[in-house]
Amino acid sequence: MAERFEEKHHHVTFEFIAVGTGRALKLAERGDVCAVFVHAPRLEEAYVERGVIVSGRIFAYNYFVIVGPSSDPAGIRGSESAAEAFRRIYRAGEGGRALFVSRGDNSGTHVRELSIWRLAGLDPQGRPWYKEAGQGMAETLVMADEMMAYTLSDISTFLSLKEKGRLTNLEVLYSGGEELINIYSAYVVESCGGAERMYAEEFIEFAAGPEGQEIVASYGEEEFGRPLFSPAASRLQELKALWEKLAGAQG
Amino acid sequence: MIIELKGVWFAYPGSRRYALRGVHMRVEGGRVVMIEGPNGAGKTTLLKVLALLYRPVKGAVLVNGDDYWSLDPRTQLSLRRRVVYVHERPILLRGSVLENVALGLKLRGVPGAISGALETLRAMGLEYLAERKWRELSAGEAQLVSIARAVAVQPELLLLDEPMAHLDEDRRELLVEILRELKSRGVGIVVASHWPQDELLRIGIDRVVRVVGGEVRAL
Amino acid sequence: MSIVEEVLEITLRSLAVSGTATLLASTWSVPLAYILAKPGRLRGLIASILEALVGIPTVLLGLALYMLFSRSGVLGFLHLLYTAKAIVVGQAILVTPLITVTACRVLKSARESFEEMALALGADDLQAMAIALRESLPGVASSVVMGFSRAVGELGIALMLGGNIRGATRVLTTAIALSVSMGEYDLALYLGAILVAISVLVSVTVKLLEEVQGP
Repeated sequence: MAERFEEKHHHVTFEFIAVGTGRALKLAERGDVCAVFVHAPRLEEAYVERGVIVSGRIFAYNYFVIVGPSSDPAGIRGSESAAEAFRRIYRAGEGGRALFVSRGDNSGTHVRELSIWRLAGLDPQGRPWYKEAGQGMAETLVMADEMMAYTLSDISTFLSLKEKGRLTNLEVLYSGGEELINIYSAYVVESCGGAERMYAEEFIEFAAGPEGQEIVASYGEEEFGRPLFSPAASRLQELKALWEKLAGAQG
Repeated sequence: MIIELKGVWFAYPGSRRYALRGVHMRVEGGRVVMIEGPNGAGKTTLLKVLALLYRPVKGAVLVNGDDYWSLDPRTQLSLRRRVVYVHERPILLRGSVLENVALGLKLRGVPGAISGALETLRAMGLEYLAERKWRELSAGEAQLVSIARAVAVQPELLLLDEPMAHLDEDRRELLVEILRELKSRGVGIVVASHWPQDELLRIGIDRVVRVVGGEVRAL
Repeated sequence: MSIVEEVLEITLRSLAVSGTATLLASTWSVPLAYILAKPGRLRGLIASILEALVGIPTVLLGLALYMLFSRSGVLGFLHLLYTAKAIVVGQAILVTPLITVTACRVLKSARESFEEMALALGADDLQAMAIALRESLPGVASSVVMGFSRAVGELGIALMLGGNIRGATRVLTTAIALSVSMGEYDLALYLGAILVAISVLVSVTVKLLEEVQGP
C-alpha cells in the first residue's frame, strides 16, 4: 500500500515498525510514531479517550482462527461458537488431554483470547495445561506446534508459517463468527505535526479509500492462494457496530 | 648423586629454535659448578634440564647412570625429589613464610613439616620472618625464603638461578655462608649467573661453565 | 499471585537456572582451561576457536539448539524444549568458551610459575596441579562470575529454548523482553535493575570471600 502511495508522492518515504498493538500504542503515546495500524478495539478505545490517537478509520477485517493439532483431542471441530470451542478445550485440558498456548503479551490477539474465555464463562489462568508464552504470534504458533497444543491466531501469521513448513502439526479447526472478527483500524497520532502529519492523514485516507481497499482485497492472494484481509468499506456500518461492541463491555 | 647430560638438545613447545644445542655436562654431590653467560644464552633452560623438569628433544639425561626419561614415573619422582631448582624470581604461595618453607616437606609427606621448616629458618638466621605473609616480604627476603624452602628438603643437588640478583651485600654474605656449609655437607650446587660475582667465588667453585647461544663451553 | 510475588519467583528462577548452568559449565570448562594452559599447536588452535566463540550471538545458539531439541530434531525424544532444563543446557554451552578462555589465561601463568615451582620442589603431578589450581582460585572464580553474568543476562537462549512460559520458564531477561513488547517500560527497567543488582552482588560477594580467605 505504501509503495502505491509513494508512487504518487515521490518525495514521501514511509518507515514501518512491526510491533504488536500494545507496543504500537505505547510508541504513539511517547510520540515516536506518526500513525498506527492496530487491531485491538479495547486498547484503541483507551488511547482515543486520552487523546493520544485521533481520526480513526476502519480499513480492513479478517477472522481470528483457533488452531490445534489435526487429531483435535478436544473435539472443537464443528463447535457452534468460539466460546463453545474454548469450553471444550478447557474440559479436555482439565482431563489432561489438551494444552493451550496463550500469547500472554497483552497483544490484540491476547486481548481477544481473554474476551472469548470470558464469554465462555471460564478462567484458565494458572491451570497447568494453560501455557502463557509471553511472545509474538509466530513464536506462540511454533510453541503450540511443538506441544501439540491449541492456540488463537490471526490468519496471516498462521498461513505464512504454514507456508514455510514451520507448522507440521497445526491446522485451522475453527474460524469465522462475530466473536473472532479482527478489525484493523488506522489512526493519526495527535502529537505529530507539520508535513509528517499531513501525509499520515493522507495515507490513512488512501488506505480507507477505493484504491487502498482494492489493495486490501487482493493482499496475500499471490502468496497464499487466498486474500488475507477483507476490505472494510462495503460493510463499514456493521463493522463500526462490532468495533463498539468489542471496545466496550465485552471487548 | 650424579646427573650427566649427553648431547642434549632442547626446544620449547611451539618453538623451532633450539634453546640448548648438543650439551654435555656433569654435576655431582659435594661439587660447586657455576654457569655463566649472557642473558638468553640458555642458562635457565640448562638448569631446568638438570633439575629433571624439562625433557630433552634429543640426547639423554643420566641420573646415577640411568636414562632418567625412560624410567617409570615412580622412580622418576623419587629421583626428582633429591634435586631442587630455585627460580630466579621467587615464586611464593599465599600464606606465611613458615608455610612456604614447609611446602617441600609437606609434598613428601614428611611428619613435622612445620617444625622442620622452622629449624631450617633458624639455621639460616631467618627465624624472624617465619610469621610474615608472602606479600610483606622485600625482594631480597623473598629470595632467601625461596632458597630456604629448597634447603629445607635437604636436597643432594641444589640448582640456583641468579640467587644473588635481589640481595644486598649483607645478605649475599649470608647466602655464601649457607652455600659453603651445604657444600661441606656434600650437597652438589649449581649456580647460574649472568655476570661473575666475587662472592660466589668464595663458595669454592670447582668448575665454571660458559653458555653461549645454547652451547656449553667448559672454561 | 501478586506482581511482587511473581517478580520474586522470576528472579529466583533466573538465579537457579543461570547458577546451575554456570556451575555445570565450570565442571568441564575449568579442566579444559587447565589442559589448554600449556603451550602447543593444537592447544593454541582450540584456544583461538574458543576465543572466537566467546561472542557468539545467543539467538544463533538458541536457534541451533532449538533445531536439536525440537520434536522433529535429533534430540527431540528428550522432551527438553520449553523446560528450564533446556535453558540450563543452552546457557552452559553458551558460557563454556568465556569461562574456558578467561580461566585459561589465569591458569597459564599459574602453570608456568606455581606448577613448575611445585615440581621443582618435589611435587608429583597431582600435587603440582592442586597447587596451581589453589593459587589461581581467585582468577578462576572471576571467570566463573563472568560466566554467570553472561548467562543470567542472555535473552536468546532463554526465549527460544524456554519459551518464556509464565510460572515455568520465565526468567528476568525474557520477562524484560515481554514488558518491553507490552509497552510496560517501567516494569522492564525495574526488572533490569534487579538483573544488574544480581550480577554486581554475585561479583562483590566472590571478591569478599577471597578477601576473607586471606592472602
